[in-house]
Amino acid sequence: MKKSLWMLVMLLMTLALVLAACNSNEGNGETEENSNEGNNVESDADGESSDSITVAIEQDFISLDPHDVGDTVSIFGTRSMYEGLVGFDKNMEIQPVLAEDYEVNENSTEFTFKLRENVTFHDGEPFNAEAVKANFERIMNEELRSNRNLQYLENIEILGDYEIKFTLSQPFSAMLNKFAMILMASPEAFSNNPDDFALNPVGTGAFKFQEWKQGDSMVVAKNEDYWGDLGTNVQQVTFRPVPENGSRVAMLQTGEADFIYPVPHNNVEELESDENIVIEETPSTIARYVSINTKKEPFDDVKVRQAMNHAVDQEAFLAVVKSGYGEPLSSTMSSKTQHYAEQELYEANIEKAKELMAEAGYEDGFSAEIWGNTASETNTGMQFVQQQLAQIGIDLEVRSMEEATLSDSIYTPETAEETDLQMWYVSWSPSSGDADGATRSLFHNEFSPPEGANTAYYDNQQVSDWIDEANQTGDVEEQKEIYAQIQETVYSEAPWIFLGSDTILSGYSSSLEGVYVLPDGSVSIRNANLK
Amino acid sequence: MLQFTIKRLLSLLPLLLVVSFVVFMFIHFIPGDPARLMAGQDASLEEIEDARNALGLNDPILVQYTTYLSSLLQLELGESYRSGIPVIDLISDRIGPSLILTFLSILWALVIGILIGIISAVFRDKLPDRLGMLTAVSGISLPNFWLGLVCIQIFSVQLGWLPTGGVNDGLKSYILPSFALGAGIMAMIARFTRSSLVQTLKQDYIRTGRSKGLSSQSIIYGHALKNSLIPVITVAGLQFGFLLGGSVVVETVFSFPGLGQLLIDSISYRDYPVVQALILFFSVQFILVNLFVDILYSLFNPKIRYD
Repeated sequence: MKKSLWMLVMLLMTLALVLAACNSNEGNGETEENSNEGNNVESDADGESSDSITVAIEQDFISLDPHDVGDTVSIFGTRSMYEGLVGFDKNMEIQPVLAEDYEVNENSTEFTFKLRENVTFHDGEPFNAEAVKANFERIMNEELRSNRNLQYLENIEILGDYEIKFTLSQPFSAMLNKFAMILMASPEAFSNNPDDFALNPVGTGAFKFQEWKQGDSMVVAKNEDYWGDLGTNVQQVTFRPVPENGSRVAMLQTGEADFIYPVPHNNVEELESDENIVIEETPSTIARYVSINTKKEPFDDVKVRQAMNHAVDQEAFLAVVKSGYGEPLSSTMSSKTQHYAEQELYEANIEKAKELMAEAGYEDGFSAEIWGNTASETNTGMQFVQQQLAQIGIDLEVRSMEEATLSDSIYTPETAEETDLQMWYVSWSPSSGDADGATRSLFHNEFSPPEGANTAYYDNQQVSDWIDEANQTGDVEEQKEIYAQIQETVYSEAPWIFLGSDTILSGYSSSLEGVYVLPDGSVSIRNANLK
Repeated sequence: MLQFTIKRLLSLLPLLLVVSFVVFMFIHFIPGDPARLMAGQDASLEEIEDARNALGLNDPILVQYTTYLSSLLQLELGESYRSGIPVIDLISDRIGPSLILTFLSILWALVIGILIGIISAVFRDKLPDRLGMLTAVSGISLPNFWLGLVCIQIFSVQLGWLPTGGVNDGLKSYILPSFALGAGIMAMIARFTRSSLVQTLKQDYIRTGRSKGLSSQSIIYGHALKNSLIPVITVAGLQFGFLLGGSVVVETVFSFPGLGQLLIDSISYRDYPVVQALILFFSVQFILVNLFVDILYSLFNPKIRYD
């Protein structure tokens, strides 16, 4: 009997060891395979080569199908291997990439691109007008997520091997930013192997796909056959999802990671004291606010909403909730968004707020509910707003809801009357950094839930008309003027409590340069260089 | 015994049918619309409707269930709503690391836990007992994420001996996570072993053994321990079942590519196919472990027979 017990224990132990060994063998095998694939990666004892870097990020990529991703992390994952006809630079300005040049007609309905010649995909397939068309057709025919960027696209015409024209059904001036969101994949790859395409990306970028172990790592390697100036001396980049803040920080300290994003606020000081580590602050396109249901009493009175804005001190918000990192939200969009026009901040002034409340007939205040998700920062933020509004007699009840339940409660009701939503603590970032993305869905009167994200049920016909008008002109100066009017009007009518705009914090080893986070929260490795 | 095992394995099938039905209904009835969550905040209503239709979410719920069941019977788990990646690919990437982590955690917890339990029982109310039980109480009361972070700070940041996370360093990668994960279980096993062994040592046959002049070693290892391990095995078996999917916190701290994290992410995105597949998998695994435990019972105590 005793024997069989020990036999059992031994058996279990052996099994565990064998399993573990299998797993690590597998790992080594793959590393060897990678270096054999022609990249001549010199591996040291750990299998990590001296000219490779590791980037630790908060979440794993959801998918690597460049046409079917919606979250920031997956988008920058695909951008590490794929390129579009145009792209964003460090300040989110549009730059030509796979297109050498482009032309837009006067009323923004025709976009003609002259394509770069001698570009090949990572699988050796040629890049040309046919390939571009195949990519756009895939997105439209299969109704993939990128299709939302192409809602006005009516016709694609191949003018030559390296020239292609897109015609829209209506003028849309933000279309160039949308083109920057469409990345070009090898038609061979997505048509031959549609099921595995999301797991095996084939693009034209300076880095090409090596392997993706979900939940663990995604590896890309330098593309020696790149069409342009490589601009990097890094052979291999490994992205690793590290959800826990403390672990991500530890990885930077130990040198296991060369770049981490995001850096938690409360670790900045500790990391800055290390001379081998650099912390970078980047203003973002993320706007934080509380949307107020302007169709519900007492919020239908603009004075009440202005009073709420005077009661909430933005500087104090940043200090309490964001550890001092961030900028006040001085418009309906962050200062890094296209066509941003600075507005005069609501002065933090309790007396003024009380006066406005009295003028609106609410000198004794009222009670209301504020909703938000269950993230701990959201909770702190909601409690901050609660405490600030208590000063003018508004008694807020904080309700935290699990994200999906919250989304259901907000987007299911058909009308402003039906909804229970009064105030929602939330943030917004236009994925392509354009003014239309930061305005239309939020303030156009046709975009209240369930149609869109105008959760303030803000309804000003003049503003809606302006939004349409801005889309219909190709004249950038005119657009700028229209968006300035929109921002001024909306800011003064206060459908939101304006709270702040995030500052992005990233950290990296001082021997690395050229890896950075863009204002929209995406990480660029394009120019990674080890000193 | 063989007959018993076969019978138990066969009884898996109806049980799985029930589990699949309950899980399916449950996840479909909790609030949250996968199409909306997938499409994101800036999606148009039309886009969301299209997605709902494409996923078949507009069909009556029973029709959806039969569709699901028939593909399940063909061993077809479907594709993740969120990523479009086949569910089987999502799971198979993570299943190896999760199993190894669970095995290693339970293994060290059993070995050390039983050892501490024996020492404590033998030296009851003396110093070794108090030290052993102090370790056990600490193991139970220290939250495993905290233990994990402390270990990372000491062994990775300060000493640089072990990686902070991931599974890329072979067995080395598993040391810290399995330590953090197993600590609580080790403590529980130590306590169960101690109390069970203390009870056993009071039995008449032990007294008889002693009066016959048997050495205390042969009493403990030859007679008492075997009879004391039944509750310990029960606990270990249950914990094994929980660990495979329930190690989310430790997985997060060590950025470990395990099944728990996948389950949590999938639930928050209402990624029905992934949630269903994972829960079915956990159920099968739970049942199998329990079956294994039942078989072990009869090995330890011949009075327990299943024929």
